[in-house]
Amino acid sequence: MNGTLIEDGPIVDRRPIVTCAGELEVFSAIEDNLVQALPQDSCDWRRSLGRPIRSVHIGATFAPFSPAALPKASQWDLIRQPLFHIYWTECTDVDVYKTSVREDIDNWLKELIAKDIHDWLVVVVENYDGKRANKLLPRTTVLDKIRADFAPKQGDRCISVINPGKVESRSADSWRGLVSRIRHLLLISYARAVARLEDHVRQQRERRNEIGWDFMQYFQLQEELAQVLEMLGLNDEALVQYDELDALFSQFVVNGITSECVNWLHKFQKPLEKWHGLKLGPSKLSNNPSILELRAYLFAKQAHMLLLTDKVWEMAARCLPFLHTCTRELAILEISAPPGAVACWLFLASMEVLQTCDKFNHADEVENYSLHTASLWEYSSQKIRSLGELCGLLPGDVPNSQQLHTVVLLSAGMGDNPGTPNRPSPTDKLKEALCSQDAFNKTYLELAELAMGTYKHIGRLRSARLVGREVASFYMLLGETQKAAAFLGDALRTFEQDGWHELAAQTQIELAECFKKAKDVRKLVGASAFVSAALEIDTLIRWTYFDEMSKCLDSLDKPLVVPFNDIIKIVSVCLNSDSVIMQDSMINVELVIESNFPREIVSTNLVVSLEVDNKENKKSNEKYCSSRILTGKDLKQRDPMLQRLRIKRNLDYKQDKQLATAGIASKYTELKRKDSAAPPVQADFSYCLEVPDLPLLITPGLNVIRLKKQANKIGKFYLGQVAIHVKNLHLISSMLTPRLALEIREESPSLKLYKRTAPLLSGIEQIMNLILTIGSYIIEPKSKIKLTASPGLTLQVIPDEPLVSALEFEVGENIRFTSTRTRLRILADMLSKDHQVTIHCPWTTKPILVPLNFTPPLTAGWRLHTVLHRKFVQVSVVGQCESDLIIDQAVLKTGNMPCSAMGKKHESSQIISNGSMFFYMWELVLDSDEVSSTIKTEFSVRYKLDEKDEDKLYQYFFDISDYQTLYILDANVEPAKGSEFCRVGIVCHLNLSMKSASQMLRTNNNVKSVMYEVLAEQSVWAVCGRTAGVVCFDSEDEPQTVVLDVMPLTSGYLPLPLVRISKYIPAESGNSEKPNKVDTHPRLEPFSAGQVYNKSKGKQVHVIAAITEGY
Amino acid sequence: MAVCVAIIGKDNSPKFFTALNPDEELNYQYKVLSSLDIVEEKLGVGAKSGSDLRELYLGMLYSLETHKIYGYVTNTKIKFIIIVDSTNMALRDNEIRSMFRKIHSEYADTVCNPFYIPGEPISSKPFDVNIKNIMTGTV
Repeated sequence: MNGTLIEDGPIVDRRPIVTCAGELEVFSAIEDNLVQALPQDSCDWRRSLGRPIRSVHIGATFAPFSPAALPKASQWDLIRQPLFHIYWTECTDVDVYKTSVREDIDNWLKELIAKDIHDWLVVVVENYDGKRANKLLPRTTVLDKIRADFAPKQGDRCISVINPGKVESRSADSWRGLVSRIRHLLLISYARAVARLEDHVRQQRERRNEIGWDFMQYFQLQEELAQVLEMLGLNDEALVQYDELDALFSQFVVNGITSECVNWLHKFQKPLEKWHGLKLGPSKLSNNPSILELRAYLFAKQAHMLLLTDKVWEMAARCLPFLHTCTRELAILEISAPPGAVACWLFLASMEVLQTCDKFNHADEVENYSLHTASLWEYSSQKIRSLGELCGLLPGDVPNSQQLHTVVLLSAGMGDNPGTPNRPSPTDKLKEALCSQDAFNKTYLELAELAMGTYKHIGRLRSARLVGREVASFYMLLGETQKAAAFLGDALRTFEQDGWHELAAQTQIELAECFKKAKDVRKLVGASAFVSAALEIDTLIRWTYFDEMSKCLDSLDKPLVVPFNDIIKIVSVCLNSDSVIMQDSMINVELVIESNFPREIVSTNLVVSLEVDNKENKKSNEKYCSSRILTGKDLKQRDPMLQRLRIKRNLDYKQDKQLATAGIASKYTELKRKDSAAPPVQADFSYCLEVPDLPLLITPGLNVIRLKKQANKIGKFYLGQVAIHVKNLHLISSMLTPRLALEIREESPSLKLYKRTAPLLSGIEQIMNLILTIGSYIIEPKSKIKLTASPGLTLQVIPDEPLVSALEFEVGENIRFTSTRTRLRILADMLSKDHQVTIHCPWTTKPILVPLNFTPPLTAGWRLHTVLHRKFVQVSVVGQCESDLIIDQAVLKTGNMPCSAMGKKHESSQIISNGSMFFYMWELVLDSDEVSSTIKTEFSVRYKLDEKDEDKLYQYFFDISDYQTLYILDANVEPAKGSEFCRVGIVCHLNLSMKSASQMLRTNNNVKSVMYEVLAEQSVWAVCGRTAGVVCFDSEDEPQTVVLDVMPLTSGYLPLPLVRISKYIPAESGNSEKPNKVDTHPRLEPFSAGQVYNKSKGKQVHVIAAITEGY
Repeated sequence: MAVCVAIIGKDNSPKFFTALNPDEELNYQYKVLSSLDIVEEKLGVGAKSGSDLRELYLGMLYSLETHKIYGYVTNTKIKFIIIVDSTNMALRDNEIRSMFRKIHSEYADTVCNPFYIPGEPISSKPFDVNIKNIMTGTV
């Protein structure tokens, strides 16, 4: 162990060395076969310390036996010593064996035993040929002999093999047997050697804190173990060894730098002279490596193991931490390096790993390692950029001589690592990139694009955007502002989406600078506005950009639309009018905004658009504000992703109504791409609320702005967007949601016909009010209103004009929301009570029908009174008019029959108030000769409403019929015979006398029989015996008398019992002309009012108390 | 000692941000923002199904030459991010973990304040002081 490695070939050969003794020519024939066959099959490797059995492939290198090369018993590094010893012989003759071979083997074994080596094998190669087959099978073979002589107890140490040179099935079998025997025995011995090595490594590690311990020595030791494991095909275990070394070294660097006992570390603390790129694949460690070389070697080994175990992604994943560790260790160990050297190395290393990943590019692995390569791409692009900065290669820079010198120095330190023209090595690339600005630009942009692309591919959009920012700054240097703006815009959008306002504001500053450079005034204004309103930014910067914006505003020739975003916040919107607004009235809206501009701005116009709220294009999900005020809470945009899901129960039933499945479902339809946000739509500001006095000063902070608009369009509207115009800068808000709706209505005019409170009276000209109410719009003054009355009704609007049944009049000048009253004179005749006026209005085709109910001003009634044969007519007049009526000249006309007025009031005028009754009485002067059954009577009276009014005639027609007196009825009550008085409880006689009025009977033969009934009041009179009877008037002028018994039940002056008589029509005297329809029952017919005169009406009889009472 | 602590709401917008060195704050913001990508990745579907759902600590999200960034996510998807100087070797995983736990309990106390509107950035001064103390390890 002298700290150097024996290098043979690219990889250190850790195959166990097998020595061959005996007849070497036999062996050399099969050596090649054996070397190939050994590692072909796996063999189980059992290990101590409970480690799992691994199946390994073991190979071997063969060397001729030499006693000098045999290891000593105590040696630990058996791996590099001959481990296994085989004696080859072809001897088949026992005699020959006895004579020479036996001794040879004996000597060979003695040599081995002397070194305490027990791993040996004797192989007897047999050659079958035709001749031998005929011979008898020998009793003992050479093999048996050897076994008996040397390995009586270890039969497996001797084996015979049929020479594999001859292709036979038997020989193949025996060959397999040999190979597996060698493999097995070799592994046993090798395992022992490995175990010893492991022990040694452990021992050495334990001593790591001792003075004089050297990491590099230990490194080689443990690496040997790793190489052994690698040789056995245990790449993962080999990796563990390298990882241990890695960790150990890191620990030393971190912890040991201060400690005295790790002075071997100082060997690494030498200035960096070389920064050759990391090279994956076979590599060797130079003597006395620099820390970078050591690290690179270690990583290359680890990567190699990972690649062997198909873990490309892990290699990629380990790369960045590895590079970070390296840089950190360089810093900790205070290793000085020329500027840029470390960056060069880091760049080369990351590029090497990336290229390796590319090489192992399988479709299914790209996904795996992209996750890690993305950051590597970014890292390498950062590194090359820092190099470019150092060497003055950034666009706009011109490298000075010092920088040129740096390039040369760096390139020299990189060494040479030429790749193929198709696949230039990282070193080639870096050298080329450092050569010229163009190449540098190309390389940097390529790497950055790759970083962005990979980030996007694995879904790390934010990281991609941050790379984009870097690229943007590079493009800015290049002067390609458009590209820079695109990247910055993307970044800005991402920041805004995530709500990182400060970052967004910073990006806006960069954007503003970008636009400034591009002389894009329009975009500069937008970005400056944003920056100046960004609260996160320093006030001085905001002022600068505000000034910038103000300066540029003048040069804007076309309107520039900038969304509100955070520049101006709408705090609240309040509709001060009712949500239903009459046409042409004012819509008042109070808008509270918060301006984030650092200074005042002068708004040349401030409007809020009014959007037509169409039912058709209304989406169901549009929300409406229930109240008339929108506050900040309502206006806050909600992230649909954070909304509560509307979960619905979902039950599925089977055909037999049994529940099949139960579940929940959510109709979540708001999934949409977030980054494809549409540019702000500018609403139609042609119809909008305006600020009355412009320009308007908007101060920083809260501003209350009152907007107005005359509602001259009808319909439903909602408040759309707020626009603040500062010269040609149009700041536009987003749509106000939830929608603040208002309705502008028109009110059509109306025409109504009102009567006064009193009921309408017919026959009197009265005034009705025709009220025309003008709604929200004016009616053409020349248009005409047409009134048509039903028959019997006349009307007129113009005073002193005759009443007509139909009239037209012009609407006339009108003002909104006023009503005009037109006095309509109206007169209905007395004939009909129900009338109707039809009104045709110019604004509607539908006529208005007004039914009118008239009542006469007076009502009259009449009654006929009789005194024996004399007849009196009483006419009652009732006033129906609200006001008093003056009546006079009451006249009763009874056809040709004269009548005389009773009393004097008929001619005189009377005042009759509402509801009061007034009576007139006339006596009919009956001429006994002229008898007509019916008198047509007409009552007329003149009336007027007041003295000035002209008289009007009220007429009342009625017929008087059956007025002549037919019977005169008389009754009296007498005490029974022997009594002087009528007493209570004593039966008295009721004498009923009926007399027919003589002259009438002649003409009225029908009525001959009369039925009388005593209708006594039951509490006063008790009728004893019959109460009714029929009397016949056969003889003329003969009064019929009936005596009935009645009994008074109370004392005092009692009215006589009432007697009623009726016409009695006997059954047999029915209509004899119609015999088939014989009326079998007698009938009663009442007399009409004037036909019976009852004299006894009003008579009373004095009844005294019964004598039995009291005393 | 952490150099920066950030609390990110469930909508990924910053709710609280503090850095020991205020000049570095903007740089840290960029770092924290890009770490959200990895947090989202770790929280992504299937990524956490197997592991313990109660484990809120996400471990190191990524490392830079100068800094290491650690993440922690509450059950309500509030993300805590700690940035640590990579030269600081004293901070092991366990220390970071306990730092997160302290921040979590501090955060829980703050959002319990009835005057705090959930979802708004935290502007409480005592909270800032307490977090600073946790960062510097004086608690």
